Amino acid sequence: MSTPAAGTAEPSGSAAVAAGPTATERLTSLMPVLALAVLVVALAAVDPDFLRRSSLMAVVDAAAPLAVLAAGATLVVLCGGIDLSIAALASLSSVLLALWLPGLDALAWPAVVAAAAVAGALQGAAHVFLRIPSFIVTLGGMSIFSSIALVVSGAATVPVDDDTSIRWGFTRVLGSVPSAAVVAVAVVAALALLVTLTPLDSAIKATGYSEAAARLAGVPVDLVKVGAFAVSGACAGLAAVLLVARTFSGGPTLADSLLLPAVAAIVVGGTAITGGHGGVWRTLVGALVVTLLRVGLSTVGVSAAYESILYGAIIVVAVALTLDRSKVLVVK
Amino acid sequence: MSAHPRAAVRPAPPVLEVRGLVKAYPGVRALDGVDLQVRRNEVLGLAGENGAGKSTLLKALVGLVRPDAGEIRVRGERVRLRSVQDAADHGIGMVFQEQSLVGNLTAAENIVLGSEGPGVRHGFYRWATMRRLAQEQLDKIGSTIDPLARTDSLTFAERQMVEIAKVLRIEQRTHDTPVVILDEPTSVLEPGEIETLFEQVRRLREFASVVFVSHRLDEVLDVCDRVYVLRGGRAVGEIRPAEAEPGRLHRMMIGSTAAEDHYHGGAATPVPPTREPLLTVRGLTGTTFRDVDLDVRAGEIVAVVGVHGSGREELCRALFGAVATSAGEVLLDGRKLALTGPRAACAAGVGYVPAERKIEGMVGPMSVADNMTLAKQGVRCAGPVVVPRRQAAVVDRWISRLSIRTPGRRTAIGRLSGGNQQKVVLARWLVGGDVRLLLLDHPTRGLDVGARSEVYRLMRELAGNGVATLLLADSLEEAIGMADRVVVMSDGRVTTEVPCPAGGKPSPLDLVKEMV
Repeated sequence: MSTPAAGTAEPSGSAAVAAGPTATERLTSLMPVLALAVLVVALAAVDPDFLRRSSLMAVVDAAAPLAVLAAGATLVVLCGGIDLSIAALASLSSVLLALWLPGLDALAWPAVVAAAAVAGALQGAAHVFLRIPSFIVTLGGMSIFSSIALVVSGAATVPVDDDTSIRWGFTRVLGSVPSAAVVAVAVVAALALLVTLTPLDSAIKATGYSEAAARLAGVPVDLVKVGAFAVSGACAGLAAVLLVARTFSGGPTLADSLLLPAVAAIVVGGTAITGGHGGVWRTLVGALVVTLLRVGLSTVGVSAAYESILYGAIIVVAVALTLDRSKVLVVK
Repeated sequence: MSAHPRAAVRPAPPVLEVRGLVKAYPGVRALDGVDLQVRRNEVLGLAGENGAGKSTLLKALVGLVRPDAGEIRVRGERVRLRSVQDAADHGIGMVFQEQSLVGNLTAAENIVLGSEGPGVRHGFYRWATMRRLAQEQLDKIGSTIDPLARTDSLTFAERQMVEIAKVLRIEQRTHDTPVVILDEPTSVLEPGEIETLFEQVRRLREFASVVFVSHRLDEVLDVCDRVYVLRGGRAVGEIRPAEAEPGRLHRMMIGSTAAEDHYHGGAATPVPPTREPLLTVRGLTGTTFRDVDLDVRAGEIVAVVGVHGSGREELCRALFGAVATSAGEVLLDGRKLALTGPRAACAAGVGYVPAERKIEGMVGPMSVADNMTLAKQGVRCAGPVVVPRRQAAVVDRWISRLSIRTPGRRTAIGRLSGGNQQKVVLARWLVGGDVRLLLLDHPTRGLDVGARSEVYRLMRELAGNGVATLLLADSLEEAIGMADRVVVMSDGRVTTEVPCPAGGKPSPLDLVKEMV
């Protein structure tokens, strides 16, 4: 084949450069919301009862602990890392909360959230100062937190007799709105405001996209990363409070099954696993999509045993769709 | 074919021919219709400034870049090169500037890697055969390197020989004169090693065609049979070294209009030597530099020159707090500068433009605005809160002041041309209005002539406003052209200082003598 001379040459100069995101990029960016809408319509078609207020509220209630758990970890992913310890840390936090409630009463849940934040910050510090990949640090953390949970709980569920001080985590407000959903939205809103209203926004993005450039521009990269891990830990602790409130007990494996759905919520929301691109609001949408998929499976009569196949598949597919592989030189 | 009477007279087609090659990237036409021919058994030189299109042309010749238009012919036959393998199948191989050997393999393994041939049978390595094949290659270039030596234990010059031996394996594929491309092969060699390389190149000419790329004029004139000069993505002239004088070649390279005042010497403001230094470095010692003393006055541009391994890059990073120092002190305006990290340096009014713009200088997917305010977040905030209107105002002002060509401040910086990217990176240190000292590590690397001229003009303007500049220039000419003073570093120490006033500039040769 012959190449027509000059005809295929791109025009040079700034005319070829688009000002903002291109149409395709805008569409990709809206994909999670579209997916959510499609899922709602599909579920309503299969089961018209789904659109009733009570079913919708049940869905947002189920999605709330997942959204809180994943919202914190989103910051770690935005910085270019990953936190695999969140579910195990949430399980440990649930045990601690059940154990501390009788003694500390109303101070028990803030104490648990603070302890979880410290655990997260420690992992962040190990990652940053010992220069160990976050994947390894939090894989180790996952194992350590699980084991501590088993030890302090005696490998058994710890029942909660008096849940007065954490009842706010599992009640209804304004008639029928689950309080957990309000907490989830509040957490996401707080994190999103913190990030967008302050220079943290570009500090986190720069760290995630290009740590070397961020460092040489004077961005406090280490501090940002440790902070992200601390927030991730705190969110795991808060998710544990919501879980204990609804199960009236803490358990050493209570939240373990939430790791995969949480990672799925982050990537389905459209946050790039390679860091930089994404946002906390996206994870809220992602958590709803993941929860709806699970609800949808049971609606059409698929056994819960297949759920993990679903999570595994959507993580892979979501990353395949969002990862710009042309910019990643080597995939490890 | 039967011997037609005229066939014997007509010259054979060139081994490699390029016609009207065009390659455009957003904002820059890297190749703008290049024509050239490589003949059998000749050493062809390619000379040109950075940004002249040399590397894009080479990448097109080895299948790493697909041209937008134009054609490449190998032995008269039109080809489309899709990969390095593809190019090798046509007998074209390249010794890359950044070496492409695997450090933990032996020289022999590297030489046959990817072209094992009889070195592999039934999926298993035949070590003895591989060693023999490698030895043959090394013999061919007369090298005495032990094929069983681990590659990372060899010197840079030895590794380059291994690369040349490796590239010559392409002979097996075509059984014809191969084309060997050497991309800036001398850039990191010591003078003695350069002479060895030249002998090697002359030896290669016996059985190969060589394309020798360099931005150093003396080299191409020394070793090449013919030289093409590239400028602005075109071949602007062809020269036979015998009839060329460096001055003419140089004017060709930078263009006669640009050459008149490429470095904006007229805008230079002389700095009285009595002025107190703004930056004072005393006895600074790091891993690759020792006991460095250095002064830079406000409004002065000081260039640090030195060969690879002189330690000047590390010194520059150390002054920004990006690498550790073990002794010595740095004063900025009489006050001690804490070298604890880039943050402290930023706060003290020091700015750093790294050589690796795409990796260290800018955050590619982030907007022009966010890149510009990355180091000085204060300019877009009221207290702790970001005020988008403030950012817009500041960024738009600098976009127009530096005539940055961008569709808007929200455009991702990665989409701009190199020169405009670099202006944004420079603006990052200017938006705060508090910059005292600029550390510029190869600020014009990879920029085209026009963009470089604009960067030079900006440097002059900043110096005129009293900013002290430490420049690691891309070439000696640039160092001499821009600097008020040139500091020579060798083996991690400052060896001498050469004043460089307008009207009394030293010649590059004077400096080279001091550098080695």
